[in-house]
Amino acid sequence: MAERQFSIRGRRKLTRITVYVVLIVILLLLPLFIKSPYLIHIFILTLIYIIAASSLRLIAVSGQLSLGHAAFMSIGAYTAGILGKLLGWTPWVTMPLGALATMAVAVLIGYPMARLRAIYFSMVSLFFGIGVLAINQAFESFTGGYAGLIGIPPLFAGSKVANYYFFLGLTGLSLLILHRFEFCRIGTTIKAVAQSHVVASSVGINESGYRILALAVGCFFAGLAGAGYAHYNLVLSHSTFNFLASVYLLIYVLVGGIGSFAGPVIGTAVLIIIPELFRVLKEFVPYIFAGILLIVIFVMPQGLAGLPEQIRSWVREWRKGKAVTHAS
Amino acid sequence: METAVNATISALVLSSMYIVVALGFALLLSIMGVLNFAHGAIYMVGGYICYQFAVESGLNQWLSLLLSVIIVGSFGLFLEKFCFRPFLGDMYRTIVMAIAIILILETTVNVLVGVHIRSLPAFVPGILRAGAISLSAERLVTFAIGGVLLLALTWFIRKAKAGQQMLAVAQDVEGAALQGIDIHRISALACVMGCGLAAVAGSLMGAVFELSPFMGNYMLVKAIQLVILSGIGSIGGILVAGLIIGSIDATLPLFTSGAVTQAIGLGIIIVLLLFRPQGLFGREVA
Repeated sequence: MAERQFSIRGRRKLTRITVYVVLIVILLLLPLFIKSPYLIHIFILTLIYIIAASSLRLIAVSGQLSLGHAAFMSIGAYTAGILGKLLGWTPWVTMPLGALATMAVAVLIGYPMARLRAIYFSMVSLFFGIGVLAINQAFESFTGGYAGLIGIPPLFAGSKVANYYFFLGLTGLSLLILHRFEFCRIGTTIKAVAQSHVVASSVGINESGYRILALAVGCFFAGLAGAGYAHYNLVLSHSTFNFLASVYLLIYVLVGGIGSFAGPVIGTAVLIIIPELFRVLKEFVPYIFAGILLIVIFVMPQGLAGLPEQIRSWVREWRKGKAVTHAS
Repeated sequence: METAVNATISALVLSSMYIVVALGFALLLSIMGVLNFAHGAIYMVGGYICYQFAVESGLNQWLSLLLSVIIVGSFGLFLEKFCFRPFLGDMYRTIVMAIAIILILETTVNVLVGVHIRSLPAFVPGILRAGAISLSAERLVTFAIGGVLLLALTWFIRKAKAGQQMLAVAQDVEGAALQGIDIHRISALACVMGCGLAAVAGSLMGAVFELSPFMGNYMLVKAIQLVILSGIGSIGGILVAGLIIGSIDATLPLFTSGAVTQAIGLGIIIVLLLFRPQGLFGREVA
């Protein structure tokens, strides 16, 4: 019996590795088959938002449901953009600097905010997000305000394919680091803090320290995604990082499934690419988006990432049902 | 003098409307535990339904307001039964549900009416003059309606049986159910009341300011600010928080730009919350 279970587990692992390899090969070969620059553009945006959504999930796993994540992206984006534009620094320097600046801000506000729990944390992060936007607009001469910040130096001028490979690498690397972080000892401690802060602090875990750490690491990658966006899109507009953008990031995580690492990746890809396929419908496109949300919450309680597991359990139920009818 | 009086009046108008919307949001949050992000969109739809009846169909404006409240209120019934009841206790899924509702409502208004900014005609046109001071009658009436609604609601929650049941459910759902209170009926009532209040506010604000498919986002943020500042589960606190935020929003734009006002208002709330993490009058939630 044990041997059989082991073999099933081994087979599943093998299937999983095969899926990963096939996926990576497809992603690497994609620009050979897809010539439309617009589609490549959509894929690059998806890759950038995958970094942001995955980093948001790391923060959520620590028990802090942030509703201001797009504001952290904007800090990275504007830092990189302004440094690149005014000082003429190369993107290879400004991008890490943007990420580090975001991390610094996260530590600064994470320190007082570690006192707030559950819904109060979410709400204060929401106010923080709106506040960042308001400050951004108050310094309009510097950040461009509603008109947008223009004149940011590009990473790879004119070549979408080069950008695609760069962001594929960046996303892969970020996901790898986030995965290692979540499943190492620190990540486990962070999850313990989220499950019960009373128990965690009673065994000597520094609760607020770990929550700030999760926020800082998550925001580092949010800033990285924002900075990458700045140097790819070359125009930073006010509305890209508003309150709804934060909510959308959260929706990507929740629809994909907050319980699994692959959740934000799948959620982002599905929610950006599928509505894009229906672009001909113009103003009706939000209906498609809403439809996906409704299907997911009614049919898949674990999100899209939980779908294989759920299909397996449906099949099991169905087989059992058939066996019962046979027996009777 | 006139500026001061007018600033006071607009502070009162804004406060009363913020409070009316925030009370609906707070009812749903404390009774069902649902973070209803769609409340702003419902407020917007209330304004547009009133607009459709009053301007497009040419009905009496007060009648259209009543119709709008009835329609949006029955939408609240639908909302409770089919959208939130299946997911009670699962905050993640209710958030996704609320976003889906926002998208559907905003897109529908967008497709049917268009993105152009519209405005309802004044409910009570004219200007009142008292000595050297002239006031817009519209604003006074808006404030009066808001005040009457708040008084009625406070009376309802303090004295009426259903209101007391609401308080009981908000305190402890299981305890209330053990006392024989029909939880679903109370939730439905809260939902209908919340949506109805939002519709009133949407129609009145549509006349004082303007209508746009995205006007709900602003109001939603304000409602959340009120509820969080007052603390979850406190109704009197919302009145105080509403007066604070309404005064900030009405007076600061006289001195600086809108963006700075917003940043200062949010800064005040964040600092207050850091000293009292459970809000001004709230209790700690798990």
